[in-house]
Amino acid sequence: MSGIGTGYDLSTTTYSPDGKVFQVDYACKAVDNGGLALGIKCSDGVVLGVEKLLPFKMLVPGSNRRIAPVDRHAGMAGAGLAPDARQIMSRARSECANYKSFYGDKIPSKILADRMANYLHMFTLYWSVRPFGAAVLLAVRDPATGKYELYLLEPSGECQRYHGMAIGKGRQAAKNEVEKLKLGEMSCLEAVKEAARIIVTTHDEKDKDYECELAWICDDSGGEFKKVPKDIADEAIAAAKRALEDDDAMDAD
Amino acid sequence: MIPTRVSHNPIIGPGVVPFGVDPAYDAQYKLNQAPRSHVASHGQGKPFTVEPGPHQRTQYPYVTGTTVLGCKYKDGVMIACDTLCCYGSTKRYKSVERIKKVNSSTIISFTGELSDFHYIVSLLEELDTTDYCEDDGSELAPWEIHSYLCRVMYNRRNKFDPLWNSLVVAGVKHGRTFLGTVGMIGQHYEDSHLAAGFGNHMARPLFREKHTDDMSEEDARKLMEDCLRACLMRDKTMMNKFQIAKVTAGGLEISEPFQVPMNWGYEKFKDPTKHAVGAW
Amino acid sequence: MDYGVPAALGVAPELMEEVSTGTTIMACVYDGGVVLGADSRTSTGNYVANRASDKITQVMDNVWMCRSGSAADTQNVCAFVKNAVEEHGIMSGSDEPGMADVKLVANVTMQIAYRNKDRLSAGMIIAGWDRRAGPQVFGIPLGGSLEKCDFTLGGSGSAYITGFCDDTWKPGMSREEAEAWIRRAISIAISRDASSGGVIRLVTIHEKGAEKQMFEPAQHPLAYDELPVIRREEVVA
Repeated sequence: MSGIGTGYDLSTTTYSPDGKVFQVDYACKAVDNGGLALGIKCSDGVVLGVEKLLPFKMLVPGSNRRIAPVDRHAGMAGAGLAPDARQIMSRARSECANYKSFYGDKIPSKILADRMANYLHMFTLYWSVRPFGAAVLLAVRDPATGKYELYLLEPSGECQRYHGMAIGKGRQAAKNEVEKLKLGEMSCLEAVKEAARIIVTTHDEKDKDYECELAWICDDSGGEFKKVPKDIADEAIAAAKRALEDDDAMDAD
Repeated sequence: MIPTRVSHNPIIGPGVVPFGVDPAYDAQYKLNQAPRSHVASHGQGKPFTVEPGPHQRTQYPYVTGTTVLGCKYKDGVMIACDTLCCYGSTKRYKSVERIKKVNSSTIISFTGELSDFHYIVSLLEELDTTDYCEDDGSELAPWEIHSYLCRVMYNRRNKFDPLWNSLVVAGVKHGRTFLGTVGMIGQHYEDSHLAAGFGNHMARPLFREKHTDDMSEEDARKLMEDCLRACLMRDKTMMNKFQIAKVTAGGLEISEPFQVPMNWGYEKFKDPTKHAVGAW
Repeated sequence: MDYGVPAALGVAPELMEEVSTGTTIMACVYDGGVVLGADSRTSTGNYVANRASDKITQVMDNVWMCRSGSAADTQNVCAFVKNAVEEHGIMSGSDEPGMADVKLVANVTMQIAYRNKDRLSAGMIIAGWDRRAGPQVFGIPLGGSLEKCDFTLGGSGSAYITGFCDDTWKPGMSREEAEAWIRRAISIAISRDASSGGVIRLVTIHEKGAEKQMFEPAQHPLAYDELPVIRREEVVA
C-alpha cells in the first residue's frame, strides 16, 4: 500500500485525498483503450462512425455491431467495453419504450440524454457495482423540434451536447480532424466521407484488422436512425483507404 | 391511482407481468388489490367503503367496433370493415380507422373494445421498434404477429382480465398468404375467409357459397361488398362507410372510406301490410 | 344497493350514492382556438349537491379538461395528470412554463383512464391550443379510449343534443359563433336532462391564453314549453 492514490482506488464510494474517484478514472481508461467512435453533427443530421477492432480473423463480418438504433429516432455508438456499451443501449431502448407507453410519443432528446446520464451515474455511487467501462455517443432527432442533436455520455454520468466528438483510441487526432470540418455547412452525405476518412487515417497500424461501421440519422434516412446504406458506406471507406495509400506512396517518394 | 404496468416486455412476456419476476411490481400489484380487504369488512361497520365485495377484473366493453371480414384471393388477402365505433347503441365515432398497418406486410383489424385495440396496437408498435433496433431490415411475418397476439389474448384471459376484442390478422410474406383470427379468450384459427363479430352469422354463409382461393381481385372485392351489404342490412351497429385493405406481395394498401349501394325500392316495401293490416 | 355502511348511521340512502354522474359537457375547435362548455349541476341521487359547480378544470395554462362521471375520480385523475405533465415540462426544459402539448396531456389522461378502467368511472374531454398543432379536442370516454375530434360531447345530457350538434356543426367557425353554438347546445340539454342544470360555463382557449365565462339561466335561450326566467332581485326591487 504505497504510492499515490493507493488504497483509494478500490471503490467508487471513497474519494482520494485530492478529490478523485479513481474507479471512474479507470473506467475512462477502458474507454480510451477501445476502438475509436466519432460523431459529427451536420446541417441536416448526425453521422456516427466506429472503428471496430477485430481481434480474430474468423469473426463473421458485420457481426458484433457497436452502433445500433435505440428507437426509430435515436441511436448510439459505443466505445470501450462492448458488453458494457450493449447494456447501456439496452437500457436506452427500455427508456424509449417506457416513455412512449406512457406519454404516447417519442422520447425527447433531452429527456433521453438526462435519463441515460442518471443511469450511468448510479453506477458511480455504490460499493457493490462497477462503473461502466464504456462511453456512448447518442444521436437523436428531437420529435418536437425536428432538430438533430449529438450527445456524449461518459462513465462518470456526465452528459454534454456536441457539434462533433470522438472517443476511444486515437481520439485526440480524430477530434483535431473533426474540428477542422465546417460542421454547420456540411451535409451528412459529405460527413460520411469525412467520418470514414478520419477513422481510416487515425487507425493505428499496430492494431489488428478493423471494420469501419457507419450510421446516420438525417433527412435522407427519413429522420430515422439507420446504418448508412451499403453502397454509400463502402464507397466512402474505399475512397478513404485509397487516399491513405496515395499519401503513403507520396511519403515513400 | 397507481398505473398498472401493462407494457410489453420481451423478457417478462407479452402483455402481462407474472409474479416473482419483479418484486417491486408485485408489491404494487398487492396495493392495487386493496378492495379485497373490504370483503372481510363487509357489513362490519367500516364507513366510506363504496362497493365492498370481490374485486372485479372481468370488465365489459364501452366503445365498440363491429364486424370485420377477411378473405384470400389470387394475389393476396383483403379485409374490410366499417369506420364506426359505438358507445352502447349510440353511434359515437364515425371516422375511426379500424384497420391498422402493423408492418410492411401485415395489417390488423378488430371487433370489440376500441381502447383495448389501441393498447394492442401500441404493443405491436413496441414490438416493431424492437425489430427496427436490430437494424437488419427483417420484420415479423403476419403469422408471427398472429402467434404473438394469440399469446397476449390467452395470457390476459388467464388473468381474468381479457382484452375485449376479436382480431383479424392478414398479410403476405415469403410467397405465403396469411389470414387468421384470435378471440378475446385466445381461441384462434386460420382460414381462407373469416369474419369476426356479427359478420360470422351474416357474411360467412355468403363466403362459403361463393369464395375460392383463386378468385380475381375484382371478384373478391365484389363478394366482399356483397358481404358488407348483408351485414349492413342486418347489424344495427354498422354504418355505410367502409374501408377495404389489401395485402399482396407488392405491398399493402388501405382504401379511402366508401359506400356500398343499397336498394330500398322494392315494390313490396311500399305497402307491406296491404293484405294483412296491422301486421309488421 | 348495499354500501357497506351500517343502517344505524341513519344516512338517507340517496345521499350515499356517488356524487355526480349526470352532466352535460362538450368542447369544439374553431378557427383560432377551442371552446369548452359545461352545465353546473352536481347531483347525489335526486338531490342537487351543488348547483354552481365548475366541471371545466385547468390542467395547464393552455389545456383544460371537462369532467364527467364520479367527481372524486375525475378530480383525482386531473390532479395526477397535472402533476405528471408539469413534471414532464420541467424534465424536458420547456421554454414556455405552464404550457404543454395538448396531445401529450390527452395521452397521459388516457393512460390513467385505461390502466385503471375497472376502478374508475370517468369520462373526460381534453381541449386546448398549442404552438405545434394549434387547437385540438380529444374525447376520452369511459373505457379509456382516445379520439381526436372536431367537437365532442359527454355526460348524460349529451344524448339529448347529439342530433342537434351533428346537424348544426360547421367547420371553421369564428370564436363568437363557436361560443354561441356551445351555449345553445348546452341550454337544450339542460332543458330536457334532469341531471344537467344551473349556469353554463365556457372556457375559450387561443394563442393569447384562456378566458372563463359564465351565463346564468336568464341568459339561456328560452326552451320549448318553459317560462322566461325572472331574476330574484328584479322581483324584490
